[in-house]
Amino acid sequence: MKHLLTATALVAALSGMAGAAELTVAAANVSSYLDPGKDHSNVGSQFYFNSFDPLIHKDYSKADPEWQPGLATEWTLIEPTVMELKLRPGVTFHNGEQMTADDVVFSLNRMFQATFPPYQVRMRDRLSNFDHAEKVDDHTVRIHVKREEPLFETLLNLQQTFIIPEDYTKALSGDPKVAEDSDYEAFAMAPVGTGPYRIAEFVPGQKIVWERFDGFWGEQAPLDRVNVIQVGEVASRLTALRTGEADIATNIAPDQLSTIEADPTLKVVGGATPLFHVMIMNQNHPKLQDARIRQALMLAIDRNLLNEALWLGKAVVPDSHTMEEFGPFYMPELKTFEYNPERAKELLAEAGYDGSEITFDTQGSYYTNGMLAAQAITEMWNAVGIKASIRDLPKWSGNDPEMMARNWSNPMYFNDPFGSFGVMWAPGGPSQSEGRFNTDETYAEIWDRFRFSKDIEARKAAYAELMDHMAKDPAVLPLYRPYESWAMRTDLNWAPKPGHIPYVLDFRAGSVALTN
Amino acid sequence: MTAFPMIARNTALGAFWASGDRIQRLALVLGAALALAALAAPLIAGFDPTAQSLISRLRPPLGFEGARPGHWLGTDELGRDLLSRCLYGLRLTLSLALMGATLGLMLGGLLGVLAGVAGKRIDAVIMTAVDTQIAIPFTLVALFMLSVFGSSLTVMVLVLGLAGWEQYARILRGEVMRLMQMPFIEAARAAGASPLRIALTHVLPNVVSPVVVQFTLSLSNIILLESTLSFLGLGVQPPTATLGAMVGVGRDYMPNAPWIVLAPALLILAVTFCVQILGDWLRDRADVRLRAR
Amino acid sequence: MITLALRRLFRAAFTFFVIVTLVFFATRMSGSPLDFIIGEGLSAEDRATLIRYYELDRPWWDQYRAFLGALFDGNFGLSFIERRPVSTMVAERLWPSAQLLLAATAVTLLLAIPLGVVAALWRNSWIGSAVMSVAFMGYAVPNFVLAVFLVLVFAFWLNWLPVVGNGTPWHFILPTVTLSAAMIAAIMRFTRNAMLDVLGQDYMRTARAKGLDEGRVVVKHGLRNAGITILSVVGLQIAALAASGSVVVETIFAWPGMGELLVNAAIRRDYPVLQFGVLTVALAVILINTCVDIAYTWADPRLRRSGARR
Repeated sequence: MKHLLTATALVAALSGMAGAAELTVAAANVSSYLDPGKDHSNVGSQFYFNSFDPLIHKDYSKADPEWQPGLATEWTLIEPTVMELKLRPGVTFHNGEQMTADDVVFSLNRMFQATFPPYQVRMRDRLSNFDHAEKVDDHTVRIHVKREEPLFETLLNLQQTFIIPEDYTKALSGDPKVAEDSDYEAFAMAPVGTGPYRIAEFVPGQKIVWERFDGFWGEQAPLDRVNVIQVGEVASRLTALRTGEADIATNIAPDQLSTIEADPTLKVVGGATPLFHVMIMNQNHPKLQDARIRQALMLAIDRNLLNEALWLGKAVVPDSHTMEEFGPFYMPELKTFEYNPERAKELLAEAGYDGSEITFDTQGSYYTNGMLAAQAITEMWNAVGIKASIRDLPKWSGNDPEMMARNWSNPMYFNDPFGSFGVMWAPGGPSQSEGRFNTDETYAEIWDRFRFSKDIEARKAAYAELMDHMAKDPAVLPLYRPYESWAMRTDLNWAPKPGHIPYVLDFRAGSVALTN
Repeated sequence: MTAFPMIARNTALGAFWASGDRIQRLALVLGAALALAALAAPLIAGFDPTAQSLISRLRPPLGFEGARPGHWLGTDELGRDLLSRCLYGLRLTLSLALMGATLGLMLGGLLGVLAGVAGKRIDAVIMTAVDTQIAIPFTLVALFMLSVFGSSLTVMVLVLGLAGWEQYARILRGEVMRLMQMPFIEAARAAGASPLRIALTHVLPNVVSPVVVQFTLSLSNIILLESTLSFLGLGVQPPTATLGAMVGVGRDYMPNAPWIVLAPALLILAVTFCVQILGDWLRDRADVRLRAR
Repeated sequence: MITLALRRLFRAAFTFFVIVTLVFFATRMSGSPLDFIIGEGLSAEDRATLIRYYELDRPWWDQYRAFLGALFDGNFGLSFIERRPVSTMVAERLWPSAQLLLAATAVTLLLAIPLGVVAALWRNSWIGSAVMSVAFMGYAVPNFVLAVFLVLVFAFWLNWLPVVGNGTPWHFILPTVTLSAAMIAAIMRFTRNAMLDVLGQDYMRTARAKGLDEGRVVVKHGLRNAGITILSVVGLQIAALAASGSVVVETIFAWPGMGELLVNAAIRRDYPVLQFGVLTVALAVILINTCVDIAYTWADPRLRRSGARR
């Protein structure tokens, strides 16, 4: 009966056939748009690295950043606030255009001096210290920052500062000489970059097709073609591997691992993702204004038990908001968060907790194990005498004044505490703007030292102070770094690289191989 | 054409029993057992249906390797006792279905009869409402209500009640209109019978059959709809157990822990089976024309 | 007859208008798309900028007028999230949805009507009950449980059939079976009951009295008359399926259909997509129902008379 399948045209498009090296990925989600500038979603970050390059690359096989030439071959600070970069010659975009300093300046300034509102959002949350980029000659650009920038390389390695072609983008709609908002909108449907794979087909929410780009400036891509198809249902994703309709399936929950492990033709790779599933708490909710109540909510949660039970012990439970990927800023010595139900009970009594209901919001199965963790957490709260219940909402509630506590994820957008904790918890940042987190002058002062000190130790000391602040008047508890798995054929060599942000599907040379 | 003695005879359970075949009798016994189990859930469930035990998640039913004593049907994804959840789930699912179907019957029945007997303006308004309801994807109606009114059991009953009213309205309107044209109604009218009397003695017995069929259909439809809403993440809020919520969550575990889907799915099957068979049976017994033969 | 059809069409148009208006206001009552456009955690300043950019601050009557205008000039705007014309997005999915619906309807009719006749003719024996019971199984198991079960058996374990997408005829088998299973029982049941109604009519008694074989009479007279009822039920079922039944199947089989598009648009509050999508589905459903209604009235002489009179 297997002939049934092989007889069909479908299989001709599948991998493992003689000749063309081709892969099919069954992804839980395919993006609704592809624009590395405006996107910072976990869904989107899967797809950009194959098709775009930053000015400064790094060795992605290492967690600690080790910078390497990207679209820039050299970079030097010529003044404390000005970096000069020499551009790589002979770089071609997927549409055949040569990359010049104009393209680089255009790509950077569309973010640094954003007029397109979605870019403004990303500019404000991570690129606000950049002033502008300017062209010196065809292969030299200068980047100006407002204050001395300790994270220069890091921020020029970001997905949001990947380089796109100027002329192509401007010509997408309206006046071909002017960058209009509609050009950026159109770009997200027909993205063009310099990476080793060009996006040959993109159907939002359904599929992405990559084809090897022969004009790539670096080592040629190992695969001729990669198809990414959205298969939302986990049973179907696993089945697609068995029928040969897919070679890799993303987002396999820990509870499904045993199904894969029972099949000798399949394997699972995975690891603790550089992202925290967190619980956020509303400092301004009338029932939670007393910090002791929020401390009790945190102390009552046995995160290690959650890990053992829901993640088979494969997740990582942190003592503070820190992870190895922060490199020199990894601070395992900080003990900000702990489990102590007795102390939780004491604090509740001290704070005079009146037995009123405390709700935990969750968005269904949006996060792997999110609904299970929500139920387990409310049960743990019940155990220390908190009357807890779940609100399962089909929407984000972080800006709802009624929100008391809820789950969220805090990815590492780049290898620095600023790229993880910092994006979400800056003074005036998203959490404060949404009205559930307060900062004062003290916090802002510590923040400033953490963000801009040039000395590593000074930044670390400031970060420790921020963590201390967060422990005293908590608004967030990192639950764990979830264990993310990709299931695939046993003859496929692919694994997430530790130098990447979460979920990147890296199919560049050296990252993937077929071993038949 | 005399209706009341027929109803009286139907309530005589003995006669009813005697009229059934084997499958119908099986459905009656099974249905009674399920109803009893639902009613007595708090008495017979061995565990609190929401009590978790994170260290013994996804344990199989007794008799399989790794089973935990006391948990006859095993445990679910949070280590809760599956049998207890099934019993409480059955209880809540049946209540939701009955309330939803009754709500739909009352709303739809009233509007349907009204459309059938009132003037053509009212008829047009009501039928526009019916057509509107039919043409808007129901999942969207549910999603809208849940996001505007929040998710609670009350809202869920309203959503489920709204899900079937238009069927009753259509059926009753059609039947009433058809009957109003019948010679015997015209005769009764000519004989000076009041509209109420006509409705009770002539119309009611004639519409009992399609309404019973629709009621049983909508009972099962509502149970299934509730599970579909759970599939989409719009069902009853956890940790509350309903059969629909249990299969909705459990489907991800079908390859490795099938029991957590099988148990509630079989219960849904059993309930639907009983309701349908009993509905048909009642309908056959109640149908004026068939009984005449 | 023509006036009747015209009046029916007028009501259809009015219904359509009501739906369009309802959808417009309901979508705006249910929340804001902002958190789904760029991601959650926006600062107040960002929110304000984006609200202006996506013109969410336009007064509702202005938006409503534009929307009504679109009914005539066909410009239904861009999706908030995908930023491409909603008409393109719907067009992409309409045909796959229709294909699946047609396949499921065909399979259903081919199986349900003969089985319904069998169940009616053998109503007093175990055969009738058994046929009904088996059909119930397909109906009484939640659709997605059946779908996942079929996936596991026929693809995961047996490896006979594909599960992802709509690439080949083989891809149709599992989704079609899943959808039909839910419909067969209902159509069969109505067929059976409609047949039973016919069996009780005087002309059937006459036919029997003439010594004609019951089976043949049923098929000849009965089915023709019962056909009217069946037709209307089939219409309703298809309409219901077109309107909401397929989202589960589309999700599980990664089928690029309308159900998934609409539910996602509703969850993300992508008003333009939702408005145009519902409008398309509603138009299809109203068309089906109007056709069925007209056919129904036309086929039933009594209603035709009354319809002409009222």
